[in-house]
Amino acid sequence: MPIEWGKIREYAVATGSNDPDYLQNPNAPIPPTFLSTVVFWDQPGRGMQTPEAIAALAEIDAGQGTDIRNVLSVEQEYRFHGPLPRAGERLVLTHRFDGVELKEGRRGGHMVFSRFAVEFRDADRSLRAECLYTSARTSKAATEESRS
Amino acid sequence: MTSKQWEKGVTLPLRTFGPVTLTDIVRYQGASGDMNPMHHDDALARSAGYPEAFGVGMLNAGYLATFCTDLFGTETVRRFRTRFKGLVWRGEVLHAAGQVRELHTRGDLTDVEIDFTLTTQDGRLVVEGDAEFAIPSEIAVTAGKD
Repeated sequence: MPIEWGKIREYAVATGSNDPDYLQNPNAPIPPTFLSTVVFWDQPGRGMQTPEAIAALAEIDAGQGTDIRNVLSVEQEYRFHGPLPRAGERLVLTHRFDGVELKEGRRGGHMVFSRFAVEFRDADRSLRAECLYTSARTSKAATEESRS
Repeated sequence: MTSKQWEKGVTLPLRTFGPVTLTDIVRYQGASGDMNPMHHDDALARSAGYPEAFGVGMLNAGYLATFCTDLFGTETVRRFRTRFKGLVWRGEVLHAAGQVRELHTRGDLTDVEIDFTLTTQDGRLVVEGDAEFAIPSEIAVTAGKD
């Protein structure tokens, strides 16, 4: 994934920043949540397609289907290691499965929480950043609950 | 802000974003690459029982990121976590608030841990989270030294 200055400027403006560090420096550092733009280069959910993840999901009998309307993003966390990535760098992506968990909804139905991560490494293979995702897939009853 | 002294318990200056428009939402979706239509397609959102399309969780997180980088600088972030607690509707004004939880000095740098929230003008919680920034130790005040 190349870290591009134009993308940093676009992302900074879209999140309400007009900091000259982003807008005027061709080697701009990335904003804290910028690596969410990884979706232009790869699917961040690939950690959920590993045999380990598929087996774990089958074990709790998730079975809620893939209706996009029933998927909620619960949490995202970015961790940085070493120098903050900057425009002009190129990062290599790897995917990680961090676990699944079944939770009962308060008024029936249940939610499946999935945890997975994308790791960003530089040319020396040093880990520079991680994005940790938690998403929930609701059954219909749980979706009713989340609407109220 | 470079002369600011950060210490445990300090309340961060409040910051307001919005009112959030559909333009803000689609600009963020284009910038981030998250084109989930639930955030801009009212008909689809209604088919799932929502009154209209709703804001993007990561845009709300991005506002909190800007709130933080404006205070702590653009080069200092070490960790940034957001939990999505509520939906934002078009026209809502969002308030960012936060507090310094802890500081850890290690030589020239001090890690500042902060907790923050984003709430609507009605006080409804939208995002909560916490983050860590490594700032120059000369602008931090560690516990007990004050």
